[in-house]
Amino acid sequence: MTDATGRPDTGERQPSFREMRASGVSKSYGATVALEHADIALRAGEVHALLGENGAGKSTLVRIFTGAVIPDRGAMQLHGETYAPRSILEARQREVATAFQELSLVPNLTVAQNFLLPSLARPGRPLISARQVIARGAEILERHGLRRIDPAARVGDLPLAERQRIEIARAIENAGRVLILDEPTASLAETDWLFEQIGKARARGVAILYISHRLAEVREICTAATVLRNGRSIGTVGLGDASDGDIFEMMVGHRVEHTRRPARVAGMASAPRLAAADLAGHGLRGVSFQLGEGEILGVAALEGQGQRGLFRVLAGLETPTGGVIRVDGKATAYRTPRAALRCGSGISYLPEERKTEGILAGLSAATNVVLPFLPRVGRAGLIGRRDEEKAALPAAQNVALSPRYLGFAIGDLSGGNQQKALMARTLATGARTLLLFDPTRGVDVGTKESIYAAIRAFAEGGGSVLFYSSELPEIVQLADRCLVLYGGQVFGELEGADIAEQKLVAAMIGHGTRPPAGHASVSSAGPVHAVAESAR
Amino acid sequence: MSDIATTSGGAAPSAAPSAARSGPAPRHRLWRLTQGAGLILGLYVLLYALYAYQQPRALDAYAIAALMNNTAPLALAAAGQTLVVLSRGFDLSIAGVISLCNVVLAVYPLEGPGGALLSMLLCLAIGGAVGAVNGWLVAYLRLQSIAATLATMIICQGIALVILNAPGGYVSEWIADELTGRLWGAVPVSGLAVAAVVGLWLLVRRTDYGVALYAIGADEPAAALSGVNVRRTRFITFVGAGMLYGLAGLMLSAQTATGNPNSGTPLLLLSFAAVALGGTSLSGGRGGLFASVVGAATLTLLQKVLFSSGVSSFYTGLFQGVVLIVAVVFSGLLTRIGERK
Repeated sequence: MTDATGRPDTGERQPSFREMRASGVSKSYGATVALEHADIALRAGEVHALLGENGAGKSTLVRIFTGAVIPDRGAMQLHGETYAPRSILEARQREVATAFQELSLVPNLTVAQNFLLPSLARPGRPLISARQVIARGAEILERHGLRRIDPAARVGDLPLAERQRIEIARAIENAGRVLILDEPTASLAETDWLFEQIGKARARGVAILYISHRLAEVREICTAATVLRNGRSIGTVGLGDASDGDIFEMMVGHRVEHTRRPARVAGMASAPRLAAADLAGHGLRGVSFQLGEGEILGVAALEGQGQRGLFRVLAGLETPTGGVIRVDGKATAYRTPRAALRCGSGISYLPEERKTEGILAGLSAATNVVLPFLPRVGRAGLIGRRDEEKAALPAAQNVALSPRYLGFAIGDLSGGNQQKALMARTLATGARTLLLFDPTRGVDVGTKESIYAAIRAFAEGGGSVLFYSSELPEIVQLADRCLVLYGGQVFGELEGADIAEQKLVAAMIGHGTRPPAGHASVSSAGPVHAVAESAR
Repeated sequence: MSDIATTSGGAAPSAAPSAARSGPAPRHRLWRLTQGAGLILGLYVLLYALYAYQQPRALDAYAIAALMNNTAPLALAAAGQTLVVLSRGFDLSIAGVISLCNVVLAVYPLEGPGGALLSMLLCLAIGGAVGAVNGWLVAYLRLQSIAATLATMIICQGIALVILNAPGGYVSEWIADELTGRLWGAVPVSGLAVAAVVGLWLLVRRTDYGVALYAIGADEPAAALSGVNVRRTRFITFVGAGMLYGLAGLMLSAQTATGNPNSGTPLLLLSFAAVALGGTSLSGGRGGLFASVVGAATLTLLQKVLFSSGVSSFYTGLFQGVVLIVAVVFSGLLTRIGERK
């Protein structure tokens, strides 16, 4: 906590007041208590972590700070003055800004337009100068080390990781006093850029609230952490003094046992359940692999190495331009996820973007779970009021989703419970091969454990799993075998005890036994460091 | 930092994966065509050439003015509808506002240029007031736009029937003559009115409101979190759209010179057809007002062409529907080819 040196001198503010303080803040929606009682103090120039399981009230607290939600009770102070924003603009005027987890960028506008929303025109001028908007956008990008992004590009055309960086850059741009980063690394494979930007903001004397499920990251960048559990702030700890176990205990309320990947040899005797040969197109440049019965095959890669294309091709969402997919030993060419599901023993896909590709927000969790086998749920084609919940129950139990959530609209559940429901749906399809794209993205420790358990149980039962994860510890814990993608090709393949973070990192950045076709020089020292850090 | 500075992502060959991922995929020229009014403008020119081939007098100033007069009410109505559609809404009150303005002008004719000006202000006020009610219901009370505007449409049509329960009345001579006439014997006044609206739109598009309109149409929660005042934007949109319907009612009255409590009804669905024909996405956030105006002009011109080809007017609707489907499919096809690059 001695890191506030080098902040610019702002004489009129007393250092002791240079903080954001919230005490006894609470918010309920009808009978649902989203946040019961939260106390937190963010000091200028300090990076403060907010930890808690999904549904603990983190998002609500963030929204209260941002002015998007008005608390029922409690008081907030900013630099010694009362702080009670009633809108996002009001919060922004007080120099409090947030990079939202779900990204608040408008897809049909350009990067530059998004930066300047809602006032693009210069003060006093009614009309917007397109050239000036681009120029100002370029300036902001430049300031945040994102010069490679075209300010005139439509945000919707950019990859998720770049959108996340833009969201963060915009928040930093608007945050003179308090910067809130809600899961800033959810779509970033490396933290290098982010930590550099955080360092710069900290040097300016900005108080930073950092929300992440990745404890390694939190330990690297934060000095103190406040833990929320069930809507209450349990306490604030200095990260130097608390062990991971202590923090997990505060978050979950009990100790989390560290599960290790059981040394299991997959039965490769029979024909592989899913085999790909020389898949090309959609970022792939000749990917071949085999997935056996009862096997968990991990995919590790830096962002944008073709993993997205691989999963989308295998799921039937995209048609490959070359190569063969074999299911149960038979060459097939399905073109829709529905066909993939009906192909041989079935392939089921858990998509990357929960909000847009996964959930049907207005429907109940139960409906979301039973969707794949809806025709089997009802009687004589009619579905009774409780039929769906009854049918969803076994699947929900597989992923430890509490039955009481089944009746709720899935859009109202926390991210972790949404993900559990989606996982339950993927399992409930009855497919024997699962394609899981980042199955624990942005979920808490407890949910992760449930999802891991479900994946393991599925594989024990003879199911095959292909999963990509942006978190290396996850691959180390789960995978029997691991493919490393680089530049759209399988760059390395690790098995059993060889799946260790160091080896994965080396392969992911293109170092290793097999030289990649022609572009080994791309990697620089940066990503090596970054991945090694995030892998810790 | 490990950032590799490339000029702008799009041009970079796929040699370096970490560089190629930053920019958007390069857009094909065809894709760009579908973004503006290019496609529909091309269709219009083609159709006009056909019309001119059939009717050599189609290029006379008189014929052009007549066509403009026929086009203006639908074009203005479609322009208003476009605003609401861009904000991800539907506005059914269009039929009510136009009928109401029409009967008011037919029952209370105000003579002379001063009277015409007053009449125009009256139409704008009627449209603006109905739009304000719509905006209040949709933006502040969060009613669904179809439900809210359906209600106001029914109310307006009811009022129109109270004012004039059967076709009749007459619109002031000045309006009927001057608004359908030509300036300096060449420039149709109705065309000028539409051009003025398009010109105004080109300015509005470049304001903060214009950007906010597209933003809330594409992703309302994101726009709200970006600081856009969603409610105010939506409210302004309905008011602006209502005023355009008022203008459409004025131009329709000038053209028919008489009152009819149901005069706005045919324009309701045609306005959506014009919007769709212009390539504006009915799910909001994509498209433009000018394209809808050209879409409206195309629908009107199609009627003329069919008429001059000797096709019975009973078939007009059938042809309009087919053209609509073909145009939407074609534009979708171009978009897909373009996005595949």
